Amino acid sequence: MSVIELADPPLRRDARAARTRNVTALIAGAAVALAFVPYLGLPPFYESFLYLTFHWIVLATSWNILSGYSGYFSFGHGAFFGAGMYTTATLAAKLDVPFLLTLPAAAFVAMTLGLAVGAVVFRVRRIRGELFALVTLAVTFVVGTVVLNTPIDGGPGVYLSGVPVPKLGPTAASSFYLMALAAMVVTLLAAYLIQRSKLGLGLFAIHDDEDVAEVLGVPTFRSKMIALAVSCALAGVAGGIHALFVSYVTAGETFTITVPLTVVLMSVLGGTRHWAGPVVGAAIITALLYAFTAGNHPVAGRAVFGALLIVVILFLPDGVLGWRRKIAKAHGPKPTDDQLPPESAFLDRRVPSADEESGTIETVATPAMATGPSTATTPAPTGPSMPRAGADLLVAKHLRKSFSGVRAVDDVSLTIREGEILGLLGPNGSGKSTFINLVSGHYLIDAGELTFRGRDLARSDAHVIAQLGIARTYQIPRPFAHLTVLENVALTAMFGAAALPRAEAEQEAERWLDFTGLAAKRDALPDDLNLHQRKFLELARALAARPRLLLLDEVLSGLTPGEINEAIALIRKIRDGGATIVFVEHVMRAVLALTDRVVVLDHGSVIAEGAPHEVMQRREVVTAFLGAGHA
Amino acid sequence: MNLPSGTLLAQSALSGLFVGALYGLLGLGLSLSWGLLRQINLAHFALAFLAAYVCFQLSSVAHVDPLLTLALIVPGCFAAGVAIQWLFARFRISPFNSLLVTFGLTVMLESLIQGIWTADFRRLESTYGDARFRLGPLYVPAPELLTFIVALALSLAVWAILKYTDAGRALRAAAEDGPIAEAFGIDRKKLALLLAGVSAASAGIGGVCIALSQTLAPSQIYAWIGVVFAAVMMGGLGRPFGPLVAGIVIGVSEALTMAITAPSWAPLVSFSLLLVVLLARPGRF
Amino acid sequence: MLELFGVEARYGAALALSGVSLSIAAGELVAVVGPNGAGKTTLIETIAGIHRSSAGTMTFEGRDLTALAPHRYCDAGIAIVPEGRRLFTTMTVRENLELGSYRRAAKPLRAASIDKACTMFPVLATCLDRAAGTLSGGQQQMVAIARALMAQPRLLLLDEPSLGLAPIIVLEMFDIIRRVNDAGTAILLVEQNVAMALDIASRAYVLEEGRIVAEGAPAALREQPHIRRAYLGIGDDVAAPA
Repeated sequence: MSVIELADPPLRRDARAARTRNVTALIAGAAVALAFVPYLGLPPFYESFLYLTFHWIVLATSWNILSGYSGYFSFGHGAFFGAGMYTTATLAAKLDVPFLLTLPAAAFVAMTLGLAVGAVVFRVRRIRGELFALVTLAVTFVVGTVVLNTPIDGGPGVYLSGVPVPKLGPTAASSFYLMALAAMVVTLLAAYLIQRSKLGLGLFAIHDDEDVAEVLGVPTFRSKMIALAVSCALAGVAGGIHALFVSYVTAGETFTITVPLTVVLMSVLGGTRHWAGPVVGAAIITALLYAFTAGNHPVAGRAVFGALLIVVILFLPDGVLGWRRKIAKAHGPKPTDDQLPPESAFLDRRVPSADEESGTIETVATPAMATGPSTATTPAPTGPSMPRAGADLLVAKHLRKSFSGVRAVDDVSLTIREGEILGLLGPNGSGKSTFINLVSGHYLIDAGELTFRGRDLARSDAHVIAQLGIARTYQIPRPFAHLTVLENVALTAMFGAAALPRAEAEQEAERWLDFTGLAAKRDALPDDLNLHQRKFLELARALAARPRLLLLDEVLSGLTPGEINEAIALIRKIRDGGATIVFVEHVMRAVLALTDRVVVLDHGSVIAEGAPHEVMQRREVVTAFLGAGHA
Repeated sequence: MNLPSGTLLAQSALSGLFVGALYGLLGLGLSLSWGLLRQINLAHFALAFLAAYVCFQLSSVAHVDPLLTLALIVPGCFAAGVAIQWLFARFRISPFNSLLVTFGLTVMLESLIQGIWTADFRRLESTYGDARFRLGPLYVPAPELLTFIVALALSLAVWAILKYTDAGRALRAAAEDGPIAEAFGIDRKKLALLLAGVSAASAGIGGVCIALSQTLAPSQIYAWIGVVFAAVMMGGLGRPFGPLVAGIVIGVSEALTMAITAPSWAPLVSFSLLLVVLLARPGRF
Repeated sequence: MLELFGVEARYGAALALSGVSLSIAAGELVAVVGPNGAGKTTLIETIAGIHRSSAGTMTFEGRDLTALAPHRYCDAGIAIVPEGRRLFTTMTVRENLELGSYRRAAKPLRAASIDKACTMFPVLATCLDRAAGTLSGGQQQMVAIARALMAQPRLLLLDEPSLGLAPIIVLEMFDIIRRVNDAGTAILLVEQNVAMALDIASRAYVLEEGRIVAEGAPAALREQPHIRRAYLGIGDDVAAPA
């Protein structure tokens, strides 16, 4: 499955595609215009200054592709940059490889180094972010040590004065200028297109909540590695070019704190969540850098950068671009102020009642069943509300999960059959949510078997489980705080079982937002929603994945009786469309109305199973819920 | 590769032990603030080196006994630690941003040090520096021994305080569940300031030990970051004896590596050890 | 003793409590029941000082609670037994108890309090030096209650003490709660187990969607059809599956 989706499907010609084309054209156009600068006959100083600016833009933007987008701040960009420098220096000066050919090699070496670090650190679960920062900081000095102690450098440094500069422009300075320009264009295009792509959305989701992203289908490890690879490769190229520019490379000057500090500062200053943030930051800082080096105060310059970093973090944590966006939003149209629970979101929808069930389903209520663009996973609508003969969909055998010695799930065996609505009940703390977390891959099972349509889930990554067709809602909503409501829902449409390309996914997301009454909030951030709306967002997000198995964790809590009625009808419709539903709920009325079968848990074990009315009468069940003496 | 003599190896191991104790001393404060406050204070190193330079200056120029400089350095560092923590609380800085802010602070302090004392190497000459004891065929330099004793004593003190005093228990409780700890009367903010101050003061003490036993240069600050953090992570966050034990393991490994191969390979040792720990027990954090 | 008037509490932009007014007299045992997501825990946390109210007044024994810093609520005489126990799991049972009596007024009575706790919960004496995280749910609940009592509170806040416990343990727990109340401590009990809560309370409030929708004596509340249907599963308007 391709993670980077660049081609537009023929069905969708709209503002989004146009905007992508426009910005790309803008970047390309600016590049072409800038390419004429060497022919203006300016003194070489200007070309060198612009070279430096482009050079820093490449470094900062390449850093941002991984660190800004995913939140994994790397302090080791100097290591990858230096690896590129030394690759070129070694190949060109010592092995007489033509300079331009060394650049791909520089990219490759830097990339390999980065991937090696990522392979180790990205798999350690809990303090990934801080650990990554510190390990990458250490990597810089370690690589420097290796370079210093081996024949790569050995001590005296490497001279590139004998390496011919390729004749790309009228002067040597022009050639460097043009090479940096080319590198910058490639980097900016990469950053922009990644931001707009499926990979980019995945990275931003990782930034906000990596565990949830993984459970919703984002291949987190793969995404981070790809971003890291691109980031390092570009830094390597910048290093290769710079090696020739400075023409004398030493380990002591290369593997220092300067590069990491500067790129972090530039990106944070400009805004890390935007592809153009580093550009803004680099432009400002390069101007400042020039002022300091020209005035011969490199030490003071470093101090100012340190101070600037502190000031930016304290007062402008989203950077210049983020601050501008906040101001624009504050002055723009305000989202409607809703403190009270909204009027039933469903009252206006034409939801067919139990009486008007018909074979054709074309209401707005069930977009997944509409005769729209078909994908392999859209099941054909069957007859109304009759559960299909249930093939075994999910089989759990002797599941066990403990936390610090406490058995949250204790020898649970149950089977979920296709097309049914299964109620999972039990008092608080009985293991219901833990069971859902096990099935969706949030937790690893300690013991037992778990198969879905024959596939073993126990050893699968959570994102694979999502792609197989399992979706869930969270009892306490966990939306991605920095993604809009639309993007939150589009994400599962892209990364879940439906696996739609981005443009179609957003269309699909709009339909589901319409359905849950959140259409007006499509561009709002989750923080602007109240609790009810966030619950609806959870539901829309789960449905957009077009799952085979939908795990609903207390979706009804807090709804008014009217809304609960609508929700009951809605859930039935979802099942009719081919989804199987596991329904953790406390609202008895809904449980009795909806479920074909219930399983009751208590203290992590199954204590009863069967038809809802019958099970709820059983003595041990009543006791579990209400306490002895009330059976 | 000629294996050096047994005595040389033993001497190397011994000096590794002492360097390791210094890693542990520097790592103690870091481990406490990272483990109990979830702040990563990179400026810890810069503060230690600033203390080292101040000690150097007062000793070499003003001829103050190096150990007496502690009277100025410890309160000064304590105040600095409190100030930084106050800043974090006031701006509600996330754990990750604390890394960035202290990174900026480190750079500023390092520039300050280089501005005042230049990048030249500085060595504190003192009576302590020349004193040494004999342990059989081995030499034990006084400053290093002092460092070891201080590191051990501080670790022991921290362990005792965390285990046996109300304040120590309160800190541990607040680290595990801040809101509930507060509900039982624990003043989290004040404790955080206190801990940050103590941690920074330990950096100051470490700085004096550095001044007594090492050659000073501003660039050294960054060289220590990697190895001390490795000691902190390997020792387990928030554990009083962790950094010391891990530091000694690293120190001895480094020293033996240097004796057997070449000194310039030392930085790789701590890094490799850390990688091994990360790969072997990835869930330990 | 405790007076809430028009209290409002938020999570971000979302309103969790709205216009909540209630009161507890010294020595009373008052229950607050309601569905999940109603705001019961928010209410308890606001009274304990863990969560900040955004509007309204809260006074305890005449003192304005909203003016206090979070760590001063315990000094005022309020102690909490949180939902899910929230013991300090890496610390021993004894250390948890010692922390309960952290506040200055409770500290001198510490040794005596621990003895009293061991008398009230005999099982505690056997596991004083075990890490709190290794205990069973029921044992942990006892430690949590004992920890709160160590603070010598005049008002004890209990958030869903029956959560995840076996029925027989729940009975014991409620028995203990009744005894604590008999000894003079006022209690505010938040519970999802409505039947048990109404059994021991002298007065109850019903909280739904952040608002108080009913209050009164347990007997009167039990007769209300809304309560019977929603919380006791008794009633005849439950639709059969289509």
